[in-house]
Amino acid sequence: MRDRSDARPMSLPGTDRRTVLKVAGASGAALVFSTAAGEPARAATARRRAYVIVVDGCRPGEIDAMPNLKALRDAGTWYPAARSLPVMETIPNHVMMMTGCRPARNGVPANSIYDRAAATTRNCDRPSDILVATILEQLNASGRTTGTVLSKQYLYSVFGDRATHRWEPFPVLPVTEHAPDAATMGAAIAMVEEFDPDMVFVNLGDVDRVGHGDLSGTTLKLARSAALASTNTQVGRFVDMLKSSGKWSSSMVVVLADHSMDWSLPQQTISLTSVLGADPALAGRFQIAQNGGADLVYWTGAASARSAALASMRSLALATPGVFQAHVVTETPSLRLGANAGDLLVFCKAGWRFSDPGPQSNPIPGNHGHPATEPIPFFIGGGSPQVRRGVARSARAHTMDVAPTLGAYFGIPAPRTGWEGSSRL
Amino acid sequence: MTPRPAGRLMGMPNAYFAHGVASGDPRPTSVVLWTRVTPTAASKPGSGAGPEITVTWQVSTNSSFTRIVSSGKASTGPARDHTVKVDAGGLQPATTYYYRFAYGQVRSAVGRTRTAPAAASSPANLRFGVVSCSNLQAGWFSSYRHLADRDDLHAILHLGDYIYEYGPGEYGYGQGDIDIRTHEPPHEILELADYRQRHAQYKRDADLQRLHAKYAFIVTWDDHESANDAYEDGAENHTAGAEGSWSARRAASHRAYDEWMPVRMGGTTALGDGTQLYRRLTFGDLVEVSMLDLRTYRDKQLAAQVDPAQADRARSITGRAQMDFLMESLTRQNSQWKLVGNPVMIAPVTFAGVPRDLVKPVNDTVGLLPPEGVPYNVDQWDGYTDDRREVFEHLRDNGVTDSLFITGDIHSGWACDLPADKATYPGTRDSVGVEFVATSVTSGNLKDITGTPRRTTSIAVEEILKTNNPHIKYLNFDDHGFSVLDITPKRAQMDWYIIGDRAVRTTGATWTTSWATTAGSQTVRQVDGPVA
Repeated sequence: MRDRSDARPMSLPGTDRRTVLKVAGASGAALVFSTAAGEPARAATARRRAYVIVVDGCRPGEIDAMPNLKALRDAGTWYPAARSLPVMETIPNHVMMMTGCRPARNGVPANSIYDRAAATTRNCDRPSDILVATILEQLNASGRTTGTVLSKQYLYSVFGDRATHRWEPFPVLPVTEHAPDAATMGAAIAMVEEFDPDMVFVNLGDVDRVGHGDLSGTTLKLARSAALASTNTQVGRFVDMLKSSGKWSSSMVVVLADHSMDWSLPQQTISLTSVLGADPALAGRFQIAQNGGADLVYWTGAASARSAALASMRSLALATPGVFQAHVVTETPSLRLGANAGDLLVFCKAGWRFSDPGPQSNPIPGNHGHPATEPIPFFIGGGSPQVRRGVARSARAHTMDVAPTLGAYFGIPAPRTGWEGSSRL
Repeated sequence: MTPRPAGRLMGMPNAYFAHGVASGDPRPTSVVLWTRVTPTAASKPGSGAGPEITVTWQVSTNSSFTRIVSSGKASTGPARDHTVKVDAGGLQPATTYYYRFAYGQVRSAVGRTRTAPAAASSPANLRFGVVSCSNLQAGWFSSYRHLADRDDLHAILHLGDYIYEYGPGEYGYGQGDIDIRTHEPPHEILELADYRQRHAQYKRDADLQRLHAKYAFIVTWDDHESANDAYEDGAENHTAGAEGSWSARRAASHRAYDEWMPVRMGGTTALGDGTQLYRRLTFGDLVEVSMLDLRTYRDKQLAAQVDPAQADRARSITGRAQMDFLMESLTRQNSQWKLVGNPVMIAPVTFAGVPRDLVKPVNDTVGLLPPEGVPYNVDQWDGYTDDRREVFEHLRDNGVTDSLFITGDIHSGWACDLPADKATYPGTRDSVGVEFVATSVTSGNLKDITGTPRRTTSIAVEEILKTNNPHIKYLNFDDHGFSVLDITPKRAQMDWYIIGDRAVRTTGATWTTSWATTAGSQTVRQVDGPVA
């Protein structure tokens, strides 16, 4: 049931020249979508629909506990060796999905960065942080329509109004700052039913958000299990909607995670702020953007002292209990992180977390960002003839492969800035 | 002498090629081919007698040898016990070939082998026969025969104890140590000539010959290729002085192994260029096999019951260089499945709780338990816990998925998760990989040592161990046999087949259980039946 009587233009941040439509969701709650002006007329050719569903923070093995997702995985094309990419955080990996390239090119290396121009640490979630064209814009430019249904505020923020149709997460829970999966999937279903975009990008945050609060993965294991069950139900709703509406046979459903999850104990925290600050040559001359399983360290002292300072910071970091690796960003081109990632990237070991600036700064047990959280589920389901059925491939798929996969599906070539990922069709 | 043409049927030896043919270590474009020539009646293995000769070899795409794709000559003589080992190159990936040797006009039996898939290829599956612990005195090698009857394998993994060093009357069949067959030479092997004769005797076994002729072997050794419970500087079954120096004995065993096994030691088929046995073999993007040597570089096993040195960081089962090799193997991005050919168990196993009356037979089966029941087997990775900690932390810190430890040594079948932390595993179920352990071809197990019927005494011990070690999901202390390991991008599955009485040459084989690990899960689960 839709309440078109309330449809009226509204002025929301970033929605200039967009119209706002209020739709009654299945639960009866009102859903608000903003839509770009001048939505193109639909081509008369056979439809191809694509949906990218990100189960935020899901571990690959957890799919076996989610029957609806397992059925999609087993019936479609599965990449069991898939990995998240550094820094294994939510914003950068969603941006990699939509840009098909690594942070050195797309400009978004982590959730939290130190903004040298603004001299402050902030979320890397401004629409202007993305420096290249996303597949959303490419699809729009090809005459197709797109949608974003993202459960987290910073994801809603970073993709701005790039999609034709956009849902702002609501209700947002006060502690986790995300919309529950039931609400998110309700919005996704309503968006498909109302607008039927060619491609919809969905982030489901429950599994991740429950994971963050899950002490050592044991105490609240039941909560994690409940989140998996709930998310499974929501994905099932979406598939059922596609099938009952006749869209299934023209649909590709890409399911993946942005990163995995690892749990640490309270005593296994690392505060590099105090470690580095104890060195008189470093004190006051660095900034740290803490990203759970990774610290991004920025040298703010004299350029002439940078080389020696980096060597010193790296040495001190590696000598700190719980630190796994420390990479000088410019000397580790395989990271493909770019200047926004700072000077030194420090990963923690499994079972540890960073807490900067102080030991109480990061009380969250469940974290990601470090290599232990690289493995992700990644599979392509759906009834489209372009989806290969019942196969698995050993190739190491990555989050950045999503845009090239959508490109191959819709016949969209790489943007001028190029893709670094590969189609996994 | 002028050799006469002789038998050419696959697996059928003749007097000049009495030890059959073999292949091993398949790579995408090459494979090791092996045989042993007996040019004169005096040229017996270990004799040091006989002429220098030249042998030719051919590789063909068909068994009639009408399309020969690779061929060559090889010299041999008494200095290498008339063994022949060549690295046949110029082959195509993922291709079945036939090979044979000729001495003069006499041809060997025809062997069949298969190259590995190309590194950049994506195989749909790989299927290995898995065996270990084949003690000739303890019974017949029916497991080899049943594997040779199959046509669906790509290669054979032999995880060690391919030969045994004991003399007659030692470590035979059942409680009475009956020799079903008698070892040659008829004493414990100590010298190079002894090891050569022992290898030669095993290579004359018809079932083993047939399996070698049908599939490439990928081998590693455990202790009995040299002496029981070997370590870097000695062995439990070596008495320095009375039996000479350990270094000389071990060198003899390594030399004989290099001569008699179809394996690249030191990275080549040449003799005398090193005996490094740990190595990698890649099978497209599906599997990379890393075979370990856990005897040559290890520190001596602990003797005390609960010794803090168990976790001493200075003690190693791998040695530093091999540990670095293993670390790299587990994080290389070439292939999805990181298969480790692992001679002794890596899953932690506490034997606490095993009834006193059964401690001795359990000890005799699995290794070095002191009489009062020390809670671990110090000959396994349990005796070198800092090495295991390093491996498991490496797996966990790097987010490694699909590491697969395939193990032999302990004459019993196991399927285990590898707990990230054994103490918290009962709650977290966090596992960093899985381990499948193949049972023995013939070597004695718990029921043999207790003298009780199968599935009687052992059941209680198995249940105690599974209860006290919840990461152990399957354990069978009773049966001998072989396994079949099938690997696809979706899962790795091990099937356990058991044989009847190993004293009966024609005994049959039956499937008993199958366990699998779903890709990305790092846990084992039971499945309904074996691979077709």
